[in-house]
Amino acid sequence: MNALTTHTPTTRKSALVICPGRGTYGKDELGYLQRFHSDKSDFIAAMDAQRRDNQQLAISELDSRDKYRLSEHATGENASALIFTCALADYQSINRELYDIVAVTGNSMGWYLALAAGAACDLNTGMHIVNSMGTRMHKEATGGQLLYPLCDDNWQPDVQLKSVLTDTIARLQQLPECEISLSIDLGLMAVLAANQAGIKALLSALPKVQDRYPMVIPHHGAFHSPLMREISYKALQQFSSDMFRAPQIPMIDGRGRIWHQDNFEAQALHHYTFGTQVCESYNFSKAVEVGCKEFAPDCIIILGPGTTLGPPTAQQLIKMQWLNFGSKADFKQRQKEKPFVLSMGIEEQRRMVV
Amino acid sequence: MNRSEIVHQQFIDRVSARDLPSVAVDDAAYEAASLSACAMRDIFESQIMSRLLDIVSRRLSAKKQSFYTIGSAGHEGNAALAFALRVNDPAFLHYRSGAFAIQRSKQLIGSTPLYDMLLSFTASRDDPISGGRHKVIGSRAAWIPPQTSTIASHLPKAMGAAHALGLYKKIAHRDVGLADDSIVVCSFGDASVNHSTAQGAINTAAWASYQCSPMPILFVCEDNGIGISTHTPKNWVAANFKQRPGIKYFACNGANIIDVVSTAKAAAAYVRTHQKPAFLHLAMVRLMAHAGSDIEASYHSNAEITASEAMDPLLTSAALLIHHNALSAQAIVQRYQQLEQRIERIAAVVCQREKLASASEVMTTIFPPNRATPEKHDMLFKQGKHVPAVTPDQREQIFKKEQRHRDKPLHMAKQINLALADIMLSHNNSLIFGEDIAKKGGVYGVTQGLLEKFGHTRVINTILDEQSILGLAIGLAQCGYLPIAEIQYLAYVHNAEDQIRGEAASLSFFSRGLFTNPMVIRIAGFAYQKGFGGHFHNDNSFNVFRDIPGIIVMAPSNGSDAVQMLRIAVELASRENKVVIFIEPIALYMTMDLHHEGDQLWASHYTEPTPAAEFGFGDIHVTGAGKELCILSYANGFYLSCKAAKILAEMYQVQVRVVDMRWLHPLATHAILDAVSPCKAVLIVDECRRNGSLSEALVTLLVENQYNGGIARINAEDSFIPLGDAAQLVLPSVDSIVEHALTLVPLNDSADYSDKIQRGVSS
Repeated sequence: MNALTTHTPTTRKSALVICPGRGTYGKDELGYLQRFHSDKSDFIAAMDAQRRDNQQLAISELDSRDKYRLSEHATGENASALIFTCALADYQSINRELYDIVAVTGNSMGWYLALAAGAACDLNTGMHIVNSMGTRMHKEATGGQLLYPLCDDNWQPDVQLKSVLTDTIARLQQLPECEISLSIDLGLMAVLAANQAGIKALLSALPKVQDRYPMVIPHHGAFHSPLMREISYKALQQFSSDMFRAPQIPMIDGRGRIWHQDNFEAQALHHYTFGTQVCESYNFSKAVEVGCKEFAPDCIIILGPGTTLGPPTAQQLIKMQWLNFGSKADFKQRQKEKPFVLSMGIEEQRRMVV
Repeated sequence: MNRSEIVHQQFIDRVSARDLPSVAVDDAAYEAASLSACAMRDIFESQIMSRLLDIVSRRLSAKKQSFYTIGSAGHEGNAALAFALRVNDPAFLHYRSGAFAIQRSKQLIGSTPLYDMLLSFTASRDDPISGGRHKVIGSRAAWIPPQTSTIASHLPKAMGAAHALGLYKKIAHRDVGLADDSIVVCSFGDASVNHSTAQGAINTAAWASYQCSPMPILFVCEDNGIGISTHTPKNWVAANFKQRPGIKYFACNGANIIDVVSTAKAAAAYVRTHQKPAFLHLAMVRLMAHAGSDIEASYHSNAEITASEAMDPLLTSAALLIHHNALSAQAIVQRYQQLEQRIERIAAVVCQREKLASASEVMTTIFPPNRATPEKHDMLFKQGKHVPAVTPDQREQIFKKEQRHRDKPLHMAKQINLALADIMLSHNNSLIFGEDIAKKGGVYGVTQGLLEKFGHTRVINTILDEQSILGLAIGLAQCGYLPIAEIQYLAYVHNAEDQIRGEAASLSFFSRGLFTNPMVIRIAGFAYQKGFGGHFHNDNSFNVFRDIPGIIVMAPSNGSDAVQMLRIAVELASRENKVVIFIEPIALYMTMDLHHEGDQLWASHYTEPTPAAEFGFGDIHVTGAGKELCILSYANGFYLSCKAAKILAEMYQVQVRVVDMRWLHPLATHAILDAVSPCKAVLIVDECRRNGSLSEALVTLLVENQYNGGIARINAEDSFIPLGDAAQLVLPSVDSIVEHALTLVPLNDSADYSDKIQRGVSS
């Protein structure tokens, strides 16, 4: 038998890796790199070097601040690079002897991270993309993002809330000054993109629910909407498709398309990354669905920092009744016994991954 | 020997050893295909996905977890066919089309073909297309209607769909997601192409094309040279189809994806540009036997089997990829093994998905779903630019010639004729077609004048082939039209019944209502033609429809009922997507009188469509209020029973009620039971044969519902209808109804019973 045929089935656990988006580095994550990634000084130094070249604060400096400042840590310019570094460091920490990463995906900005994780670009290029786009968003993005829940605290879909939201959007879209669209399909949380007039109108028109909503996400623009066209245009000009190469691990984008080493086309990936996904709504739920159905992983690993992608991931699993997950309580119970979703932002689960 | 595992291992071993078939490098074909290395890898991925799905399905079958193992192995070249077509080219595929389906799904971002197909193999209720009711290849989004037949009975409807696409620019149609320049692709094997259904459909496509009627269809014969164990004679398919009038022939090696892409592109371009049919002949090989249960060694020698296996098209694809530097041998094996692991993982999850758990759950899709908005809602329509919408305002104009019919009683034939005109006015996506129905107006003149009113695109004379007529109806319906097909005589439907039974009726069931084919099929039927025509024109059996789940069968007995029932039939089709059979009793077409010549009691005025209809679906007609006897009947039997009722009342003072059941399948059981319950006895008058007719079901209904009175039935004899006066000898008559009624009802005086019968019968 030829050497090529000496194939041994893997005993490693197959894993779908999810990369986090903006807004996942909060005050609890301060010091994340110091706590978990002191072994990756070369990687962090490389990221810092790139920041310094751009006359930006070093990531390690931001991470080691004694206090979390929304105005500093949450801005696009800093948050994007911080999250990239933390998440990709987490990615490198995954024990590959235990886990066979069969696909990667991400939410929103997490797509840029997935490109680096899937090795469609190298880490420096990934940082370059994230940092440039984050800075551009920080300086040039207009409008904002607004959250509104479509479920109760037990993740039970609330038809009433959905209908109120749909009706409100439909009504406000009639106003010439309002530009409103779905930004992200994020499980049972609606993420809307709107110009400032739209945000204002939504805030006054939507009934207040669960004490917090409607909630405007600070320092976010109207991401994944037609309001980003100009930024998208500039990004398409700025970046060359040559920065991309065939991924080593399949990547699932925000429409559920699988990009892998054999169907890779640099120009198409360039167009999607800086065109389509910047200006059209991002379907994270679909990405989770495709990841589960087409790769049937033994587990899902959500990279840190933060844990905010846990609920929308779980909500999509429950919606699909994946592995018979039937409800929030059911999911929580199974997570306690034998977790299917391993969130690296949760220390206990992190230990199972690294 | 497990041939699927042998084929599986052979692929790995031969690619690893670079022991691959030599591939002829055809630069012209390569240029015509204009395949990038990326596209070649993409097609190849679909091929190995399909192959591994087959192999995993066989493994699951051994564990009794997969239930259908007729696979696509050897036919994976059809991935290249899918590559050459558009996602909105409707695809009517035969069962070896896994690779086609996977490749097409790639045009729909976010699809999950591996998971979905495994759900189908394992009969999971989550299977998005059939919901666990069949292993089918299908997808609503990818415009692949599921096919369950293995005998090429999908060809007539594919031909029908092609006719529909040819009408898109001319006639309004419901938007079902197809484009004006979509073409139909329809695949089948070299064995099933011999089936009369396939031959008929191909012949009809050629017939249409020959006279320059648009027929954009790409027939694809995937020729593996064998049908189960019977070999196809060498060159049989080519010899048959190379020279067909109206159909252009293309052929290539189906194992060579470059050849397939270039040839399929050329064939599709021909069909799209010229709106004419093409026949694409792909040479394939069958691997892993006919199905999992087929032991190929029982009819092929080991050498023959291994010779076939040596022709594995995946090896050719591997050779092509390596030749064109698209992938190395090592990478190919690696991809293949990674995919195997991935598919095994998906299969393990899929096997845990729930199955259908109750009969009622299985049956939820028998009746198609209602359409939220009725057919005539203009918002849903795409209007052809050449023919403006026919609006109700034009009714006066259209009906101008019918002025003389407005103020006088009319027979059923004329009333149906006027009703059809009104239906065509209000449903501008409706078409009427059948044998001789256009200029001639049908054998009985029922469609007279419709051609002049609505033109030859909506009133169509068809070829003499009932399978094609019904296939046309299915294809038109799936493409957004409202077909009103005519079958000239009830006897003629029997040669084509599978188009209703196996195809039209089952579409909703096997597609969870995602695909529907709403239609009305008008059939002239039943006997009593006064001895003319013999059994073919006096057929009195419609049993062929009575056990088909999901369809509606109705038969009117008079003109005004016919009008209202036809309108209900159209509403059932247009609002509820139903398949409706409308049987018109030939003998009553021209009947004007009931008891005496000139009494015109069986004629009535035509009523224009109004929102307030006299009766609705499921309402039966009860005439008389007698409680001594209830006569249950329909169509001609009802007419004869009304005659008999008068005799019974006048001669014997027996007060009967006579029921016209109108709806023959399903029966309006509650209404029937309500009608008979006050009566002391029930006489069932059924003009169809005693054995197997509706009368048996009615007796069962009464008995099962504890009806306490006497029950009798009168039927046609278990005979074919002979010619001349002899016809009457085997059919129920007024006399025989009276005679049977009197046996059920105690007479009110002491008159001699037999004497009364004698007088009554002879009067």
